[in-house]
Formats: sequence, C-alpha cells, structure tokens
Amino acid sequence: MTKTLTLQPVSRVEGHAKVTIQLDDSGNVHDTRVNVIELRGFEKFCIGRPAEEMPRITTRICGVCPWSHHLASGKANDAVFGVTPPPAGKKLRELCNSIAYMEEHILHFYFLAGADFVMGPDADPAVRNVIGILGKVPDVARKVVRVRHMCAKMLEMIAGKSIHPDAVVPGGFSRPLLPAERDELRKMADECLDLAKFSIAFAKESIFPQYLDTVKSLGVIETGFLGTVTDNGALNLYDGKLRLMSKDGTFVDFEYDKYTDFISEHIEPWSYLKFPYDKRAGAFSMDLNKPNGIYRTNTLARINVCDHIETPLAQAELEEFRKSFGRPAQLTLLYHWARLIELLYNAENAIRLLDDPDITNPETRVTAVPRAARGVGCVEAPRGTLIHDYTTDENGILTNVNLIVGTTHNNAPINMSVNQAAKAVIKDGKYDQGIMNRVEMAIRAYDPCFSCATHRFDGTMPVKIDIYDSRGRIVDTLQN
Amino acid sequence: MSNDFHILPEFCTKKILVLGCGNTLFGDDGFGCAVADYLVEEYEIPSHIYVMDAGTGVRKLLFTLAISEALPDQIIIIDAVDKGRIPGDVFEISLDDVPTEKADDFSMHQAPTSNLAKDLQSRGVGVKVVVCQAEHIPEFMHSVLSEPVCQAVSMAGDRIARQLSLERISGSITYPSSSCLPSQSL
Repeated sequence: MTKTLTLQPVSRVEGHAKVTIQLDDSGNVHDTRVNVIELRGFEKFCIGRPAEEMPRITTRICGVCPWSHHLASGKANDAVFGVTPPPAGKKLRELCNSIAYMEEHILHFYFLAGADFVMGPDADPAVRNVIGILGKVPDVARKVVRVRHMCAKMLEMIAGKSIHPDAVVPGGFSRPLLPAERDELRKMADECLDLAKFSIAFAKESIFPQYLDTVKSLGVIETGFLGTVTDNGALNLYDGKLRLMSKDGTFVDFEYDKYTDFISEHIEPWSYLKFPYDKRAGAFSMDLNKPNGIYRTNTLARINVCDHIETPLAQAELEEFRKSFGRPAQLTLLYHWARLIELLYNAENAIRLLDDPDITNPETRVTAVPRAARGVGCVEAPRGTLIHDYTTDENGILTNVNLIVGTTHNNAPINMSVNQAAKAVIKDGKYDQGIMNRVEMAIRAYDPCFSCATHRFDGTMPVKIDIYDSRGRIVDTLQN
Repeated sequence: MSNDFHILPEFCTKKILVLGCGNTLFGDDGFGCAVADYLVEEYEIPSHIYVMDAGTGVRKLLFTLAISEALPDQIIIIDAVDKGRIPGDVFEISLDDVPTEKADDFSMHQAPTSNLAKDLQSRGVGVKVVVCQAEHIPEFMHSVLSEPVCQAVSMAGDRIARQLSLERISGSITYPSSSCLPSQSL
C-alpha cells in the first residue's frame, strides 16, 4: 500500500514549506517534494512606482534578510540611473552587508542548524533548540549573544536602524560615518573577529568530527554552483561578477545583467516556486542518478566558486577546507562549515573596511536623475545569490521588475537533497522523530528562508506528518 | 546574559516596547505598522518608551530580546487578526488567544513570534497584544488598508497612548494620519 508522509511546518519565514514523502508498497521512499508558497504578486505590485522607492519597499518582503534586498535594490537603482556611488558610499554599503552577514550566520549556526549538532540530531526536541544550547554550552552562548547584540548595534549606528533599513539610496548611502563612530565600531569589530575565530575552531574541534559520517552521507548530491567573485576570482559578497561552475569544476564568468543568457527557469506543476537551472545544460533534471543543469547557491557555492579569499584568516581556512574536501566540495552539510569560513571573512572584511580612510569621507552619494533604462543589481545574500532586475521609463517609473532570490536558486537542490536524505533514512516504512529531523537537516543546511520555522523557540518541531494510503485516506497523523 | 548597555541595540535598553507588526505589502496586515507610525507622528515618546514599526522584522527583535538579560518591563504588540468580528474592531487578546493560523508566525511576517513572546512573558515581561479585526488581507500584494481598519488606526493609537500616559504633540495633525495613505503605507 502506498503511503504519503507530509511534513508541514506550521510556522514560516518566507512562506510555508511542506515536505511530502511518498512511500512505495514496501515502505521505501518512492518520491519526495518540497513545496514553498512564496510571496505572490510582488512584481506586479511594484510596476508603476518610482524605482527609487524600491530599496525601501523590498525590505518589507521579508524580515529575515532585509539588508540583502535593500542592497540589491540600491545597486539596481544605481544601474537604472547610470550612477556610481562614491568610494565611501560603496564601502559603507559593503560594511553593512558584512555586519548583517555576521548577524545572520551566527543566528543560523548557533541557534537554528547548530542545535542539531550541539544537542544531536536524535535529541529530544524539547532541548534541541536555542534553550538547549544556552544550557549545554553557556559560556559559548554568552559570547554569541553578546556579539549578536553588537552586530545589531553596529547596524543601528551606521544606518540608523537595523530592521527595515533605508540608508541605501540611488547613488550611494544617505549618511556619512563620523570618525568617532568609526572608532567605536572598530572595537566592536575586534570582538566580532574573536567570536568568528572561536566559532570555527570550536566547530572543527567539538562539532564537525562527531558528525563526519553524517556529513558524508546526509543529503549528498552532485551539482554545479553559482556565486560572486571579483575580477581576480576572489570571494566577494557585495560586488563583482557571477561565476557559474559545473560539477566538474569548470566555470564561466558573466556580468550580472547577462544572467538570463546563462540561467533558465523550469516550472513544475506541483510547485509555486520556479526551478532555475544552468541554461548551458540544455535541459533540467532532478534525477539523483543523472541530474542535469542543477546548480546551488549560498555558502558552499561561494566557497567553491572563488579562487581565493582576500582576508588572511579566511584564506587559511579555505585552504584547509579544500585540502579535506576538494573543489568543488559537494557534501551538503558542508554548507555549515563554509558558513563559518564566511563568518570569519566578514569579520575580517568589516575590520578592513573600518580601517580604510575612505570610510569616513563625507561624500557618500551622488545625484541620480531618472531615465529610461534597465538595471540589474546583485548581491550575495546569506541564503544565496539575489538578483533585482528593473526597467524604468523616462520618468524613472518601473515598467518591469524581476527578482530571483537565494532560496529560489536552491529550489531544485533542496528537493534533491531531501529526496536523497529520505531514501537514506526511511527504510521499510520505519520512521520516527529523529529520522524526520535528519530530513529536515538536509533542508536546514541550505538556510532557506523558511528554515527558522523548523525550530520553534519552545522546542517542539513545527511539523505535521500525514500518512496517506494509495486511495488518499489518512491512515496516520504525527504531530507535536 | 549581556547587560553591557553600550553594545545593546536601542530597543533592548527601554522599559516599554511598542511594536507595530505586520506586512505593509498585504493590505490590512499593515495595521500594526500604521499604528506605530501614528504614535510617533502624534505623540511625544518619552525616553523610557520605544515605539517601532517592527513590520516583518519582529521575529528578529523578539529573538534578540529573548536571548538577552536586559529585558523590558512591558511589550505591547500591535497586529491585525481575523477573529470574525466587525472589521475595524480593536481589542486585546492574550497570547493563548492568538489565532491558530498565526500561532507561530503571528502575522504575515512569518516568524515563530508567539513562542518568543510567550518565553518573554514567562520571564516576567508583561506582554499585551492589541489587535484589529481585518477586513481583508489579500493574497496578492496590495499596500492600502481597508477603510474600517484605516479608521481604527487612530483609535488603537489613542488607546495605547492613554494607557502609556503619552502627551499629544501640540499642533499635530489629527486623524486621518498620513500613515494610512497608500503612498506612505509602505
């Protein structure tokens, strides 16, 4: 009798996510699907509005990574208006990006995915959460909480507010940084770097070795990768060109505004979300044995596509990582390791930017005049490559808008990793809470926009599992 | 944990937080944000109170508070709900009365907020939830509040202001607030 298991997170971040696992007659996984209901109507909503409103509007799309949308939208505006921000404006934007990254990566590693590792994937859901971490490693938690607070404070000092920011404007940044503010921020950045160094050392010593077998087996797929690099191939999260790497490690580089030449979008009737894929592959397939055109974004992708990292500590970690896992590294749970390398990079980068005399230059913006044009803005959001594509008329009014967000790029690989994980851990119809969590772990590695929904603060897993027979009748429901 | 005030974001240092929640891109779901804007426009906000359009970022704010030792005495959460009442009705609910469809994300802003709020409540923070019955929360983006909910913005704002003994800014423009107008409601 065919059964269908449906894991439906009750809470959500950027839309509901529902995992359906269909079992065959012998109780093994026949097929899986991850459904995400994304925000709808955004492009239509924006058409007819002045382009310069977009950096402010887009922060309302999602409260999880408003800075990424704010920055991508600002860059799209620069392109539409044909302006280049002065060095201070660009560097302040990049500084905010690095700080926002630290805030997000700390949250994800320690409080979302980290709970799976610190407490163990089979731990009681009542303790497999932030409260469990605070109790188990209180000294670590104390450092983490302090720096996370500090990151919010830093963004507040630079941009006025960290939630729904409005400091990025077409042509630059709305306010300069004062030398006294820079000096205070510099001290905070040192503490951020200390935590970043501690985090990767702590993970390499106390966490990753324990779960290496899981890392080598859970959610493993082989794909290409997409990320941003500078002209000399260095990792960059704010600006550069896109690099699309095939699974054999060969790659092509292209400018942001050429993305439609290299990326196509596949549609599945069962999913609201599109499935972007590498156009050069000619066709799309999520077959685990013969995938075609699939690429991934987010931390592991960025660490794979870059030739090097321009900050010394992160570069040393990259070299060690590549020595262990090669290039491109394919193991899905390595997203967490790569996330910590990025945390280190961002801490170093924040210090580099704060030490740059340009950062306090009062010239932070240039005047932007409306015109008819197309402009593409792109940044690396913590969750993947984020593309904003705007077209305006001669008055600067939007006539076309297209957005591709990080989680959308990862739609196909998330589906594939869940499929692989489910096949590996569900045998002969046997499943329990720990097994289900391992399937979720495969999703959480990608840090999708709905990931925080999978760990409620009160410790329960917000998951409902409906088991259907082949006639569509519910034969079992698991819910907490 | 962290009680080093100089490194705390400003909202973590206040005794009373007023958080307007919701997504201004989805019609009446923007009610809470409009009330926060109204309070800031119409009333003097004393230094121990922080009024914020938390919008879709409330999870981040509450999470930051939840892991902090520096806690406010009181949090007032303002949001829109569908409780089957007359659109525009403004009333208070307990966290346990948060509708199941919002039990974890609390609003269109998609976060496990009610759990975070409950945790704060269990640690001695007074949590008050002021809600407005929505007329329509669209499936597709639409940034304008419905007429009854728009009218309720000043009612809710004035009620909260009385509870907090806020003084109206002299010469301020009374309702309708600009925060209700489509061009300002983002």
